[in-house]
Amino acid sequence: MKTILTIFRKELKDSLRDRRTIITMIIVPLLMFPVMIGLTSRFIMSHEAKAQVRELKVGVLAGENAGEFVEMLHEQENILVFEQIHLEEGQELIASDSLDAFIVFHEEFDRQVSELGQGEITFYLKGTEEREIEEYRIMELLSEYEELLRTDRFDELNLDISIIETISVSKVNLATQKEQLADMVGGILPYMFILFCFMGSMYPSIDLAAGEKERGTLETLLTSPVNRLQILIGKFGVVVLTGISSAAVSLLGLYLGVRYVSSIPAEFVDMVMSILEPGSILVLLSLLLPLSVFFAGLLLSISFTARTYKEAQSKIGPLFPVIIIPAFIGMMPGMNLNASTALIPILNVSLATRTIIAGQADVGIMIIVYLSLAVYAAAALFLCSRTFSRESAILQ
Amino acid sequence: MIVAKDLYKTFKLAKKQKKEQGSSSADSKVHAVSNVSFECRPGRIFCLLGPNGAGKTTILRMIATLMKPDSGSIEVAGYDTVESAQKVRAHLGFLTGSTKLYDRLTTKELVKYYADLHGMDNTDFNRRKEELFDLLDMNDFAERRIGKLSSGMKQKVSIVRTIIHDPDVVIFDEPTVGLDVITSRSIIDLIRRCKSENKTVIFSTHIMSEVSLISDDLAILHEGKLLYNDTYKAFEDRMQAGSLEEEFIRILQEGKS
Repeated sequence: MKTILTIFRKELKDSLRDRRTIITMIIVPLLMFPVMIGLTSRFIMSHEAKAQVRELKVGVLAGENAGEFVEMLHEQENILVFEQIHLEEGQELIASDSLDAFIVFHEEFDRQVSELGQGEITFYLKGTEEREIEEYRIMELLSEYEELLRTDRFDELNLDISIIETISVSKVNLATQKEQLADMVGGILPYMFILFCFMGSMYPSIDLAAGEKERGTLETLLTSPVNRLQILIGKFGVVVLTGISSAAVSLLGLYLGVRYVSSIPAEFVDMVMSILEPGSILVLLSLLLPLSVFFAGLLLSISFTARTYKEAQSKIGPLFPVIIIPAFIGMMPGMNLNASTALIPILNVSLATRTIIAGQADVGIMIIVYLSLAVYAAAALFLCSRTFSRESAILQ
Repeated sequence: MIVAKDLYKTFKLAKKQKKEQGSSSADSKVHAVSNVSFECRPGRIFCLLGPNGAGKTTILRMIATLMKPDSGSIEVAGYDTVESAQKVRAHLGFLTGSTKLYDRLTTKELVKYYADLHGMDNTDFNRRKEELFDLLDMNDFAERRIGKLSSGMKQKVSIVRTIIHDPDVVIFDEPTVGLDVITSRSIIDLIRRCKSENKTVIFSTHIMSEVSLISDDLAILHEGKLLYNDTYKAFEDRMQAGSLEEEFIRILQEGKS
């Protein structure tokens, strides 16, 4: 045990002095969430603010119809109205982005309305996601105009407007804050934790196996009176620790990001804080521990078969999609943790994390998750020790 | 003491190597060492001489327990290299040609690491470290990281790393390759020092002049087979060619035919 600790301490010290390990294990996971949250919220807010005040150019083809609506448009701040544009001309102006919206009233619009029919309006626009807010501003005006016409019609008919409301629905959302959060971010968070866990393990595993072989230090180490399993466990321990630390640092990054990025809505901050409590964090880390043993076994096994650092990088590269795809599937709506999905590595961690965030973890299923992860971790460790015992794998 | 008996070692050719050599599946193996036996005794320097690819490193790796022989046996300090590999390594120091050290550790950290792996207690370590650091004039760079050292300094660290635990048997595998004259001399001095301390020393090289400087016993290896195994004095006495180098080449050519 003392020898394993000696090897572990040395490998850890050596790894922590490697800039690449520090970047992937601490800096990237620590900054990822704050930067992502900060940039996204700032971008959304500034985009929203700009879209709300941006001057819209609205073309109207109404003839003698819809006088009240045209008047409403003129009264709006930040809306420039262009009247009596021909149909083809208006469509061309929209296509060339010279107009933001073009509203065409049927030539008999007023008559259609007065005869208690539906007044036809065609709304031309370039409906992209980034113009959603501008579209919403025009739709709001049209709804307001519709409301006005409806009220007039009911007044003329001496009817109470409430008679058109045949049912009254009161929506009461009984989902807990945690459940709502699991719905919103329950997919992306485990995806990020799994990714960081993998990335954090990657560089140390390359450096401590293929890197040592390339530099010739592994051969020197193997001539010391320690057995290979002790060396392997020492190295394994460091790779597991860096993987799990990387995921833990990303949790810290999430906390700092949510706590100190000022532009985040207060209710969202409360929701995220509700999952960042010691109990949940411990359960999350306990899921990531066997996963990072599994990753360490896979990565070290591959790394030991490579002769150089570069070769190990190119051999490990294809493993990325293998890790990302199940983690990504875990984000899909409709994917649930059950006895079958609990057996699929990575996917089970992704789904289990979601259930933990939602506070709905089922003890029986969670036991299956832990057992299957333990089996995969043991298999990876076994594979790694087999690789490490092969002369061709450890000597240049 | 090292006793090697009837050693055989073969390597499988990788697919790429087979293609390069145009080998068929029948000859997919390379005989790196064939029927090699020798003895290295304490207080003597045993030189293993041979051209590149002769099998020197394979033999030394088998002695150091990094590889297992396909057949045959090796005893180091009374322990079998297969049965008691860990005990063999505890009595062994192994120095290879290129300096293979951890660049991110300091000199002191590195030496302490290997002392710890050999189970040395702090008192023994400090005494031995001070003795060797003074002897090789290493105190100035004790706290400096290995990556920042010159190749001469690195070689000194390698030497201390090899003998910090005061091993009975020391293996030098082409230790002077690529080194300048002064650093090479420090290695030769170390080898002589090991001999004077009654250690068993095995030294592999392909440089004839080094053999003549320090050799007590000599083995010439070519294509995995021993062509000569006797004292260096006997080698000199039986010389048929005009110089050591020519004699070495003559023996190799005779071995081929």
